[in-house]
Amino acid sequence: MLLPRILAPVRAAAKSPLIPSSRVLDVIRHANGSAAHAPSPTLSFVRHATHQAQGRANGAKDGPGKRLGAKKAGGEYVIPGNIIFRQRGTAWFPGENCKFGRDHCIFATESGYVRYYKDPSLHPKRQYIGVALEKTDKLPYPQNAARRRRLGFVAVQNEPQPKKIEGQAVVADLQVGDAPGSETSIRATVRDSQTLTIGKGYAYRAANWDIGRVAERANVQVKQFVPGDRWAAWQKSQARKKRNEEAKKLRNAGKKSAKPKARKRRGP
Amino acid sequence: MAPVKPSVRQFSSCFRCVRGDVSFNGAPRRFFSSSAAAREELQTTSSSTPPPPPPPSSTPAAPAKDAEAPKETPEYMKEWGELDPNAVELKRDERRLIRREGIQPIGSRRRRAIIARTAAAKAEQIPFEQLPYQCFQEARKVLLADREEKLKEIKTQITRIENLKAQDPVVSGGQVKKETRMRSMQNHLNELVILADINDPVVKKKFEDGEGDMNKPIYRYLADQKWRKYKRLVVEQRIEQFNLVPDLLPTFDPIADVDLAFGRKNVPIGDFVDSAVSENPPRLNVQTFERGQKLVTVVMVDADVPIPEKDSLTYRCHFIASNIPIAPDQTSVPLNLLQQQSRKTKNVEEQKVALSWSAPWAHKGAPYHRMAIFVLEQKDAQALNISEIRKNEKRDGFILRSFVDRMKLKPIGVTLFRTKWDESMEGVMKRNGLKDEVNVEFKRKKIEPLPYKRRTERMR
Repeated sequence: MLLPRILAPVRAAAKSPLIPSSRVLDVIRHANGSAAHAPSPTLSFVRHATHQAQGRANGAKDGPGKRLGAKKAGGEYVIPGNIIFRQRGTAWFPGENCKFGRDHCIFATESGYVRYYKDPSLHPKRQYIGVALEKTDKLPYPQNAARRRRLGFVAVQNEPQPKKIEGQAVVADLQVGDAPGSETSIRATVRDSQTLTIGKGYAYRAANWDIGRVAERANVQVKQFVPGDRWAAWQKSQARKKRNEEAKKLRNAGKKSAKPKARKRRGP
Repeated sequence: MAPVKPSVRQFSSCFRCVRGDVSFNGAPRRFFSSSAAAREELQTTSSSTPPPPPPPSSTPAAPAKDAEAPKETPEYMKEWGELDPNAVELKRDERRLIRREGIQPIGSRRRRAIIARTAAAKAEQIPFEQLPYQCFQEARKVLLADREEKLKEIKTQITRIENLKAQDPVVSGGQVKKETRMRSMQNHLNELVILADINDPVVKKKFEDGEGDMNKPIYRYLADQKWRKYKRLVVEQRIEQFNLVPDLLPTFDPIADVDLAFGRKNVPIGDFVDSAVSENPPRLNVQTFERGQKLVTVVMVDADVPIPEKDSLTYRCHFIASNIPIAPDQTSVPLNLLQQQSRKTKNVEEQKVALSWSAPWAHKGAPYHRMAIFVLEQKDAQALNISEIRKNEKRDGFILRSFVDRMKLKPIGVTLFRTKWDESMEGVMKRNGLKDEVNVEFKRKKIEPLPYKRRTERMR
């Protein structure tokens, strides 16, 4: 809208002490339009924007296409995980052996042949995408008929514990590294153990429970820990401190002289 | 004499939330703590022939005295002292009572607490009908009047039915119309019989205490309602979730409650059962809510037998027993005893087990097997020919639908458990002549990628 700033010149006229008061009245008369035949040069207008200067009026229409739609045609062979249909929303629903992805895309959960169909017994209005297991099958399957399923497994004949013998052979290889005939710790441990299992990679090793039994088999006697026995604890800590001191002395024996100050700072 | 517990203990837990003993999916096992039935059940587990239910025994030595039940009460159980089903009020004592004596405590814990306290105070026990509350007595009067009215209606309905029976079909508009009318009148009569008793507080009390008689329509009705409120919903859900309905039967509307137990262990529907446990046949408890005796056939089917050569699955029958009588007050179907009995008798007519129990088994690595046990009602309570079933039915590739159709059976109840490879499976398979199957392991099949995704030498 065009709004004449009618009062601006009036204010200006009233403020200036030089202009006589009769001039004020003239200005007001002009502004009120009583003297329309003679427009005043002091009247000013502001022009606001009536139209957006740039950009498209109703949002962008020509973004990149999202490549939606059917990725597999009816009757095409698919394997589990294949995306059959990409969509926004749920124009199609997953039927037999299909599932929704996180963006409502429909993917196969079984290998088979794609079918586009309607199933009024399930829902009167929805359209479904399914995967038929056989090429000749039609979807939907007859109501109340047993489900058609695929096993998806193969039977493998397992040899009864063939690993044990191989594992022992590997241990024998290890023994070759040592002096032949010598009783190494490895040999002693492994010979007794009954189970050798294959590890994550390639190595054969004794089971953890077996390793845990080693001390028992070697008849290692451990002193019973008595909680609250301060005398034994003090003795033990003293022995440890003494041992450490001696070890430190041995370490420092080769050096000519260490700085006394530094040693003091480091010491207990 | 049981020691008197401090009275504060009774209010430490919410009485309204108390359920007798929770065993099946949170639902109480008994419909109305039928102590007689519970005792009977105990008997059938310990002895082969079910003797008549003995009088309630409250002393721990009583089961030991029973000549047919050689089971001795262990020493630690004797230390529990005397447990009175009318007065136990601690959860622990209730548990012990059920465990040692096989008796359900009566009614609610609140009631038992009151009974115990009045007994301790040596106060006089007032009969339920004579409780001195004015409002209670006034309400009873109204209910009694209503009952009188219903009884009168029943009388008239009976005479009406008699008249209709005597009427010539031509007068009543044809035979078919007469029969339809007769049926609807009979239905109305049944309704009236239930309505006459449904508001009776004594009936309600007896139902809660488990003293109700399942031969009476009102208690059957109440038990049915209770079953439908929770347990049947669970059964329905399992039927749907485990796809029993499209896989084994086209449609199924369970009308009988079936409980499954291996030895002393109750198995909720759909649970995994250890293969060593399921090596021996289980014990079923089939509660029907319809009048009269029925002859039923019990069939167990494995719905997930793999055929790796054809990459598909098939069915296998593990057990068929026919001509088993059940009634609302005759619920126990001990399959293990039936099997023993059939082995002992030479006469085929008396045998009930057509296909003996074969232990459920599964390959290592294979998906779980659904073992569904169906209770099928025989048409018009007619006995089936066992030797014929034995001749015609094969275990592998057994199709339950066609069996039901051929024998004119009607499925009334189902229960389910699952089996998969476990530690004891190897032993079970060896004992049941499946030694070569022990080393077979199932592994997932590799799926060939689509041709254009296949990696070729050139791509590497």
